[in-house]
Amino acid sequence: MIGLEHYLTVAAVLFVIGIFGLFLNRKNVIILLMSIELILLSVNINMVAFSSYLGDMAGQVFTLFILTVAAAEAAIGLAILVVFFRNRGTIDVEDVNVMKG
Amino acid sequence: MAEFFTNTNLGIFLLIVGQCLLIIVPLLVALAFLLYFDRKVWAAVQMRRGPNVVGVFGLFQSFADFIKYAVKEVVVPAGADKFVFFLAPLMSFVLAVAAWAVIPFNDGWVLANINVAVLYVFAFSSLEVYGVIMGGWASNSKYPFLGSLRSAAQMISYEVSIGLIIIGIIISTGSLNLSNIVYAQQGDYGIFSWYWLPHFPMLFLFLISAMAETNRPPFDLPEAESELVAGYQVEYSSTPFLLFMIGEYVAIVLMCALTTLFFLGGWLSPIPGLPDGIFWMTGKMFLVFFIFAMVKAITPRYRYDQLMRIGWKVFLPLSLFWVVFVAFAAKFDWFWGAFARWSVGG
Amino acid sequence: MIVTLAFYLFALGVLGGGLFTVLSRNPVHSVLFLILSFFSAAGLFVLLGAEFIAMLLMIVYVGAVAVLFLFVVMMLDVDFAELKAGMAQYMPVALAIGIVLLMSLGLAFGDWQAADGAEAARAAVTPEGVENTAALGLVLYEQYFMIFQLAGLILFVAMIGAIVLTLRHREGIKRQNVLEQMWRDPGKAIEMKDVKPGQGL
Repeated sequence: MIGLEHYLTVAAVLFVIGIFGLFLNRKNVIILLMSIELILLSVNINMVAFSSYLGDMAGQVFTLFILTVAAAEAAIGLAILVVFFRNRGTIDVEDVNVMKG
Repeated sequence: MAEFFTNTNLGIFLLIVGQCLLIIVPLLVALAFLLYFDRKVWAAVQMRRGPNVVGVFGLFQSFADFIKYAVKEVVVPAGADKFVFFLAPLMSFVLAVAAWAVIPFNDGWVLANINVAVLYVFAFSSLEVYGVIMGGWASNSKYPFLGSLRSAAQMISYEVSIGLIIIGIIISTGSLNLSNIVYAQQGDYGIFSWYWLPHFPMLFLFLISAMAETNRPPFDLPEAESELVAGYQVEYSSTPFLLFMIGEYVAIVLMCALTTLFFLGGWLSPIPGLPDGIFWMTGKMFLVFFIFAMVKAITPRYRYDQLMRIGWKVFLPLSLFWVVFVAFAAKFDWFWGAFARWSVGG
Repeated sequence: MIVTLAFYLFALGVLGGGLFTVLSRNPVHSVLFLILSFFSAAGLFVLLGAEFIAMLLMIVYVGAVAVLFLFVVMMLDVDFAELKAGMAQYMPVALAIGIVLLMSLGLAFGDWQAADGAEAARAAVTPEGVENTAALGLVLYEQYFMIFQLAGLILFVAMIGAIVLTLRHREGIKRQNVLEQMWRDPGKAIEMKDVKPGQGL
């Protein structure tokens, strides 16, 4: 029988994988953005699991909002990335501290 | 015997597999003849004879082509990413076929009668873009890559307007279930009760967007042979190419089915009094496919910037305006309730 | 039985996809694994009965956001091998942090229970006999309408921001003026000349 704990475990492990990815790929902004997406996804799994087991629709409504914010974040993040690449020719995070245009 | 299929795990599994085959096999056989029909129409418009050698009137041409593709050697480019290279045509084929699971062919004749069927079809048709992108990238060559980038941008652009048109239909019906959308078009006036009349301009927008979404001429820029050789399919041969082609045609026939369900009343009879049935559904799908074939034959190919312009600057505002209009018309019961048919959906 | 099997399949998809997103050497493979992860998560949502969210996840994430990632990864000509070079160096720290975090989450899992008032504290109780989409719509448009509008505003601002950041108006290339083309007629474009034979213009 699959219970709430099973889903929460999946979400927790996915969250940790996301954090792990943030530390592992400290130079590559694209993978960093993807790790953030993974973290948000794990939060979504938590929300929907609780929503389903408590019988509370609010969890699913907030999943919807997380989805919205994540989409906006990905779009803006990638746009910044493209502009940064145009100016610098690299996407290494360590070069971001050079402020001279 | 009947209990075996409804009570045991193995029985249920076998039943579902059987139902899947019942959809896929007729679909693929019909596809073989539709391919032949497509080529015949094309030939007739150009005053050629078209396929006429294999079988009577060349009816078995598609099967001959199938055998030819299947027994040819599979060529993999040296620099290709092998796994993704073979995954791409598989995805293209599997996703196109998977979308058929929720299409109702007759009253109750549907494999999975789920409540979010419209979204399911929309999600799977938006996933089809991956087959194209992955195929173009994995080939590790310029033309396929350019073709796949073009295709991805094109499919995403037209998905937006398709989505907005579908929202108009959903507002009218009040349900995301495809069967309910057809029930909502039932009425005393036969053909005039269907959604093509209240949603008239959107029928054309949907047809054109469907052509662009499935990379069908005149919007076949990803595989434009005069500029990109064959787009993302350049490096593909043999069975992988066959899978790409079948996937593409299954997607086209799916769009025909969706047009029929959304605008042409599905399995409903056009004349009040005649019996409804699957023959109406297939007949209407065939009619829409004929329109697709004629458009392919008689229109010149668009230029890429024109395609993008018409998608974002014409179709998007028009369909967005239509959503607002339908919302008002349904809320305030304009036009004798033609836009508000919530009695079915709830 | 089938539900259990499906759960483990999708859970494996989510976690395997997530792990290889982070570990892959090739960023395109990373994006593909990310897609696998999202797709499996949609499957989990279906198992939980949240069909609408599942389909939305597929349309928004898999159909749009992941394509955006794929586009950027393919278009940027970046030397990814160089960016990956530091991976072995960061591995111990990342592993340590990951394991510590996992263990602290695991501690919480070992001993948890729902509060007494949890049932009563529900914000929007799922109505009986109403399908998922309709129930979600009722809650969304009645209790959370303001936030819904604000979410739309966020998307709008994000759209404008992304366009402003990336739009380049390049000089010196030919552009099409559609209206000008449509209003063109023979009177403006053609000049009739009466050329005498043997004389030229």
